[in-house]
Amino acid sequence: MTAVAGAPRLSRRIGEGAFLTFCWVATGIAILALTAILWSLLSQGIGGLDLNIFTKSTPAPGSEGGLLNAILGSLMMCVVAMIGAVFIGVLAGTWLSEYARDSHYGKVVRFLNDVLLSAPSILVGLFVYTILVAPLKGFSGFAGSVALALLAAPVITRTTEDVLRLQPVALREASVALGAPVWRTILTVIWKAAQGGMLTGALLAFARISGETAPLLFTALNNQFLSLDLTKPTANLPVVIFNFALSAYDDWRRLAWAGALLIAATVLTVTVVARILAREPRRS
Amino acid sequence: MNVQVDTPPETAVLELPPEIVKLAIKDLSFFYGQKQSLFDVSVSFAANAVTALIGPSGCGKSTLLRVLNRMYSLYPGQRAQGQVILDGEDMLSSRVDVATLRARVGMVFQKPTPFPMSIFDNVAYGVKLYEKLSKADMANRVEESLRRAALWDEVKDKLKESGLSLSGGQQQRLCVARGIAVKPEVLLLDEPASALDPISTARLEETIAELKRDYTIVIVTHNMGQAARLSDHTGFMYLGKLVEFGETEQLFTNPVTTRARDYITGRFG
Amino acid sequence: MDHILTAVDEDLDALSYGVAAMGDLAVAQVRAAVDVFVRHDLPAAEKVVRADNAVDIQDVEIEKSAVRFIALRQPMADDLRRPIAAMKIAMQLERCGDLAKNIAKRVPRLTAAPSEAQAASIAELGRMAADRLAAVINAYRNDDAQGAYSVWLKDTDIDERHDGVVREIVSAMAADPETMGDSIHLLFIAKNLERIGDHATNVAELVHYQITGADLANRPKL
Repeated sequence: MTAVAGAPRLSRRIGEGAFLTFCWVATGIAILALTAILWSLLSQGIGGLDLNIFTKSTPAPGSEGGLLNAILGSLMMCVVAMIGAVFIGVLAGTWLSEYARDSHYGKVVRFLNDVLLSAPSILVGLFVYTILVAPLKGFSGFAGSVALALLAAPVITRTTEDVLRLQPVALREASVALGAPVWRTILTVIWKAAQGGMLTGALLAFARISGETAPLLFTALNNQFLSLDLTKPTANLPVVIFNFALSAYDDWRRLAWAGALLIAATVLTVTVVARILAREPRRS
Repeated sequence: MNVQVDTPPETAVLELPPEIVKLAIKDLSFFYGQKQSLFDVSVSFAANAVTALIGPSGCGKSTLLRVLNRMYSLYPGQRAQGQVILDGEDMLSSRVDVATLRARVGMVFQKPTPFPMSIFDNVAYGVKLYEKLSKADMANRVEESLRRAALWDEVKDKLKESGLSLSGGQQQRLCVARGIAVKPEVLLLDEPASALDPISTARLEETIAELKRDYTIVIVTHNMGQAARLSDHTGFMYLGKLVEFGETEQLFTNPVTTRARDYITGRFG
Repeated sequence: MDHILTAVDEDLDALSYGVAAMGDLAVAQVRAAVDVFVRHDLPAAEKVVRADNAVDIQDVEIEKSAVRFIALRQPMADDLRRPIAAMKIAMQLERCGDLAKNIAKRVPRLTAAPSEAQAASIAELGRMAADRLAAVINAYRNDDAQGAYSVWLKDTDIDERHDGVVREIVSAMAADPETMGDSIHLLFIAKNLERIGDHATNVAELVHYQITGADLANRPKL
């Protein structure tokens, strides 16, 4: 064997170089693709962005209008969906982490949750159609919220459980050792310690559902006009984009791009905020 | 008179006079599922004194400590057999409420575990579980506890800051303050200094030495020097049995059993 | 059982070896001092006096090794008793060396060689003292608590013999006052040998303590 010091052999340097180059190229492709998407979003969408977007509802072809009803509708449905999803997801995730870590039943639940996590959203939409829309004989924003909640809840369950598991066992034991019951320990100590991670999970779930189109096609459908009534079909951005983008009308297409840009901007902002929050906890 | 040493006994456990005993364990066995990890351990802990438990890894000393405040009740597969007698009452019996036990027997863990809340709230956490104190009384209780834990001077101006912003040694003393704020009678310490640097360790040891005036303290340590420095009585455990128990001075200058002697002088373990 | 850290065993072995070697040297000095007295060999007496240096040097070495062992190994239980006993035994042996040197120093100061009777008495006392010391050094070498105990018990034998020798010398002084100077030297020499016997008893106590951790009860001496 030759001496330890000295320049690495040529074959090793070639290997390193090749691998590094490969990584760069792969990254380059990914960045290129992302840039292309963002560029087209920006270039096509920015033209359609004006104050009308936020003040007027979707127009008939040829007339002036905006996306106000769609924005409001999406917001309402997402908020209602998130309320339900957070309630179910946090409690389920807490149960999985604190009470059912090793139980057989817990393992089954965890598995089913993972399946739901990757369930095709169109199937969820169809399911909600079958149980809520068809029997009640009407599309509604409420059904849309249910569908979105069903998509968001598994994400929150999973992230909640993961972040709670990260908390050291000693933390729980320390609280219990003082005489606190387990539920109180969870509420006042464990949740508090994991709050950054739990919030991140919720934000990520929100980012996911804000762009979901397929389930809303079967549940909320769409609404030409501004309405705050969730028991009726409700306007929402994804379906509006779907309808307008494929139309023959220029102004509709412009609105579709603007809507897409809005969604992209929202998701981007929420993700960045989630990232920042995830970094907040320790200061020592 | 034949002065040659007779074969040393297998075990040697000193019986303490009952009037100084605060906490006593009788015939304690412990099981993790099917696996038995403590075998008929009997030992008493003197009041207002420090008792140390030493022994090689896996000897059962931490397990024994955690029986004293029924910590094992958190985990379904674990169970204890025998008696833990505090002031004449068996704490392991189902008639005793576990939260009440834990109010009387506090514990400080190996890794400092400050709660994610302010220093003040950390110390007040346990107190709020049992007592309804006025704001002034609570502030007094918090200050008193932090003083006894030798932390007051360092944190009195930042009680609202997060407990996590303290150094390792300070965090551990915060945990001690938190433990004594509920005014327990017994304090259990599970290798409390093993995550600390030598100076923080020394400060913590000084705190413990002063606390023993008012509390009965049981400390598990793998550091024999610490046991020698701090404790009045020391118990040596091996493979789930209490092999030797007696006055610290006796155990470290002239242990009775061969096993204890071998462990203390670094011949095994 | 051996220590996990073999260096500890090596240190302890070296310490014991050093003490035993010093003990052998001290015993040799005692026997040599008595011998040069009996033969009234002045040049040899000089050599014995100078040889005491070696005993003193060993005392210092043992103390250094013992302190080093305590500082670096933080010993407990019997490991702690060994360096402490080693230091104290070395001190006893150093005193024995001094007493032997003292005997050798008196040889040139005698006006005449000792009589046969006197030589025999001193030789016997000397043999008892040296044998006691040798026995206890052996007990130390072999970790023999029982052996140390037997030496410790026979403390009175040498004391009685010493008393007898003193009586002989005093009556000789009374009978022939001219020999007073030499007789006084003889008294001192006998006393030194009795003291060596005492030191041997001390060493026996220390050997027993090192092995068992227990002190021997009060001396059997009256």
